[in-house]
Amino acid sequence: MSEIILNGRKVKVRKGEFLLAVARREGIEIPTLCQHDAVEPAGACRLCLVEVTRPEWEGWSKLVTSCLFPAEDGLIVSTDSAPVHKTRKGILELLMARSPNAVPVRELARQYGIEQCPYPVQHDGDNCILCDICTRVCQNLVTGAISRIDRGVGKRVATPFAEPSTDCVGCLACAKSCPTAAIPYEDEGLRRTIWGKTFEVASCAGCGAPTVTAEQAAWIEQSKGVSREDQLVCDRCKAQKTAAAYQKLAW
Amino acid sequence: MPSTDFAELLEKHPPVEESLIEILHDVQLAHRYLPRPALVAVAAHCAVPLARVMSVATFYKAFSLEPKGEKVLKVCMGTACHVKGASQLLDEAERLLGCKCGETTADGRYTLEEVNCVGACAMAPLVIEDEQYHGKFKPVDMKLLLKAGE
Amino acid sequence: MKLTLANIDGYRQELVTQRKELQSIMVCCGTGCRARNGLGVAEAMGEALEAAGLGDEVKVELTSTGCHGWCEQGPIVTIEPDGVFYTNVKPEHAGEIVAGFQSGHPVQKLLYRDLTTRERKVTYHEVPFYSHQTRWAMRNVGRISPTEIDHYIARDGYKALAKVLAGMSPAEVVDEVAKAGLRGRGGGGFDAGRKWRSAARASGSPKYIICNGDEGDPGAFMDRSIMEADPHGVLEGMIIGAYAIGATQGYIYVRQEYPLAVKHLEQAMADAREMGLLGEQILGSDFSFEIKIARGGGAFVCGESSALMRSIEGKVGEPRAKYVHAADKGLFDRPTVLNNVETFICVPLILDKGAEHFAATGTAGSKGTKAFSVVGKVNCNGLIEVPMGTTLRELIFDVAGGVPKGRTFKAVQTGGPSGGCLPESQLDLAVDFDTLADAGSMMGSGGLIVMDDRNCLVDVARYFVKFLVDESCGKCVPCREGLKQMLAILSRITQGEGRTEDLVAIDKLCDVLKDGSLCALGKSAANPVLSTLKYFRSEYEEHIRDGFCRAGVCGKLCSYHINEKCTGCAVCAKVCPVTCISGEKKELHVIDQGPCIQCGSCFDACRFDAIEIRSAP
Repeated sequence: MSEIILNGRKVKVRKGEFLLAVARREGIEIPTLCQHDAVEPAGACRLCLVEVTRPEWEGWSKLVTSCLFPAEDGLIVSTDSAPVHKTRKGILELLMARSPNAVPVRELARQYGIEQCPYPVQHDGDNCILCDICTRVCQNLVTGAISRIDRGVGKRVATPFAEPSTDCVGCLACAKSCPTAAIPYEDEGLRRTIWGKTFEVASCAGCGAPTVTAEQAAWIEQSKGVSREDQLVCDRCKAQKTAAAYQKLAW
Repeated sequence: MPSTDFAELLEKHPPVEESLIEILHDVQLAHRYLPRPALVAVAAHCAVPLARVMSVATFYKAFSLEPKGEKVLKVCMGTACHVKGASQLLDEAERLLGCKCGETTADGRYTLEEVNCVGACAMAPLVIEDEQYHGKFKPVDMKLLLKAGE
Repeated sequence: MKLTLANIDGYRQELVTQRKELQSIMVCCGTGCRARNGLGVAEAMGEALEAAGLGDEVKVELTSTGCHGWCEQGPIVTIEPDGVFYTNVKPEHAGEIVAGFQSGHPVQKLLYRDLTTRERKVTYHEVPFYSHQTRWAMRNVGRISPTEIDHYIARDGYKALAKVLAGMSPAEVVDEVAKAGLRGRGGGGFDAGRKWRSAARASGSPKYIICNGDEGDPGAFMDRSIMEADPHGVLEGMIIGAYAIGATQGYIYVRQEYPLAVKHLEQAMADAREMGLLGEQILGSDFSFEIKIARGGGAFVCGESSALMRSIEGKVGEPRAKYVHAADKGLFDRPTVLNNVETFICVPLILDKGAEHFAATGTAGSKGTKAFSVVGKVNCNGLIEVPMGTTLRELIFDVAGGVPKGRTFKAVQTGGPSGGCLPESQLDLAVDFDTLADAGSMMGSGGLIVMDDRNCLVDVARYFVKFLVDESCGKCVPCREGLKQMLAILSRITQGEGRTEDLVAIDKLCDVLKDGSLCALGKSAANPVLSTLKYFRSEYEEHIRDGFCRAGVCGKLCSYHINEKCTGCAVCAKVCPVTCISGEKKELHVIDQGPCIQCGSCFDACRFDAIEIRSAP
């Protein structure tokens, strides 16, 4: 078992753990915008920076992204030192200029005492902060219908040719995992529209509530081996069915 | 253009993601841009989603999704060229061609581009017309070069 | 024929004997000389030789070489073994050159003329540009045909490889490289021996070795020259490296802008395979190794090792955090060693001549030599290889001949977009891995861009930031958003809309970039800005406070005028692209300020100091 010093306190860590996970387990808050439990860390938003040092570094320290930095034995970590705070604040000011309407950005900016953004603010700015959670989720867990287009300042998330994608199954994983609600979609009864493509949503065999799209059902059946019949039952009905089964068992 | 046209290009490369950039290079060389059916065919060949091909095709400057003009005029923007007045050359090219950098003239004759250093710094500043390098270029030479191309 | 450990020395001996009798007429056909019709010269030389009918008693060979690194004098023709050196050769000179060759009287008008004495120099040994150099990495550059494997072998090529395979263990090879103190020439300066040792010890297979030929730093072209002119040297270095770490597959990642380098490397690989120097059972030993070429896609960020590896994998070239080293998990998550072209080409030299020989040259922390691309406002633009520790002043003034007449030195930019601009007061700094970093710049891959009083340092800072905005991959916030804001501020200043508080904002952005960015591109992006602010702050202030760019670069902050020194020679009018200069012959000319685009062509063309730069009207 290894041990690190986290904000002055000795903490046991497991092999292969990253600093962010250790800090969160210890109840220490570290801001993140590009971290999502469903996908590998990317180190893109840079907000989870922490300061690390070792006794043998003789006073030298560095800022590292805690989402990716292995919690190795003997490490001394400060999650909210002055350099950490200053750099996070600098990053948040840049995000405020880009996406001033994104709720988590505004909330963090307030926490870090940003009253006025020092850069020209794009008041109608896109809520997308390019955290890449949606593309990672779609590519790693679903069909890879969206990706990052272009590079640098022109980078954006889109379907190929910004047209309705044949790969998109309308599962909403991208929109639901987006921290800034930057991916618009419409759910009207049994019709769903996202990325310019409209889907029919099947109704629950039990109660008629919306469940999955036909494309989604086909993809899940093919890739995960779950039959369409099983997918056409909404979560509530599934839960009720399970509860009923338990009840039978209990009696 | 049917996707079978690309079969020969694709055959040379193993059907894995690692081949993606090499194939796109070959397509770009053969067609001077990446036609849409080619992108679809490449995705199928390498067994990756089209979105990922798009990501690669738009990340690297070597690839173009738009057809280019008959000639491509590049102004080198390396540091040596810059300190010897490359931006004046680009201004002059934009002025004479009537299009911005990255665009193609209305008559389709020229595409104007900048390139970040071609490694011919000892001859700076440099203008490259198709594959022909023109070193020690002056703004006033631009008129002659474009005229010669007519 | 297949070479083996048993027969390679004899084969080389035979080649050396054969070539001893030979006179070689070598025409440079590198990228630069090609641009100036080097191929036409080569063809004309062939015809002239045939027409002269030299007969059997004189053994002459006509070959084309790769880039010499002095493209501005091209096309270059040299005659070995004497080293007769012709510059600016045109096809129509071929006859004279052959006649001069027959008579033993070189063609005077094609010989290089010394900048100060105006004397003609017959051989390149006498030309200061070459005589001051110690060409180790560039030992074969311009001296052999890159497409003739025998030329390479005759100049001790593949000798080190044979020595290694015949009698050294991989660990001994690593030790030798470590003992030589070889540090990565691509810019990072990381200890190559240490890197190799980690990869050799790492578990996981296969292992990979990668040669970084992406040379993205604008203004540097030594790697292009080496790949074009001495491809076997690069291959030999890689093969030895592969043996040392136990790699079975290698990659050479070459910039897409370097098609000739790709061509020569491909040919070299085919020839090496044919002769048993690459592929299965190299030189008849148990060691097998293959190399593939991967073409870059025009992305500066792919010079960064983790981005380069993603690119070889066929992916978008976004860097990854390097908390886990490539020696353990690199390409395809396997142990990988990545070094650049110039680093690999030092390897055969170290193994052949010994670590002590290599380490005897250079400084305490930086061993050997380094190739520099000294370009911009100097008299001799080209590639210069000197021992580590040579001062900037020696490089710029002694070897490259100083700034052109009439202009004054202002700054030298080193280290590409990750480096900085140094003023006259820093010219006595020794160039090595560590010294320049202390002064706010870095040696980097070896680009040295010299600037004079006609260059505006605010504009140069803006140039680098613009370059990085174009090249940032866009993955992390500080680099993507920070550089965008930085460019907006610097553009404002160069357009006369700067505010005093802008300099404070710049400082703040520099901190976020340095401390917050993911990879070296973003972390070092502040250097060009910080160094110009440190050494040339008054220029920023003049732009902001007075709205004046004294270098005459920022068009909105200057205007061009003709004074009474004008002789009416009309040279300015001829070079003006918008024909806004008028005047009678031999009378004072006038610039019409309306259409003038402030390109400065007139200023640069005038030989009478008659053009003045003033603030904008």
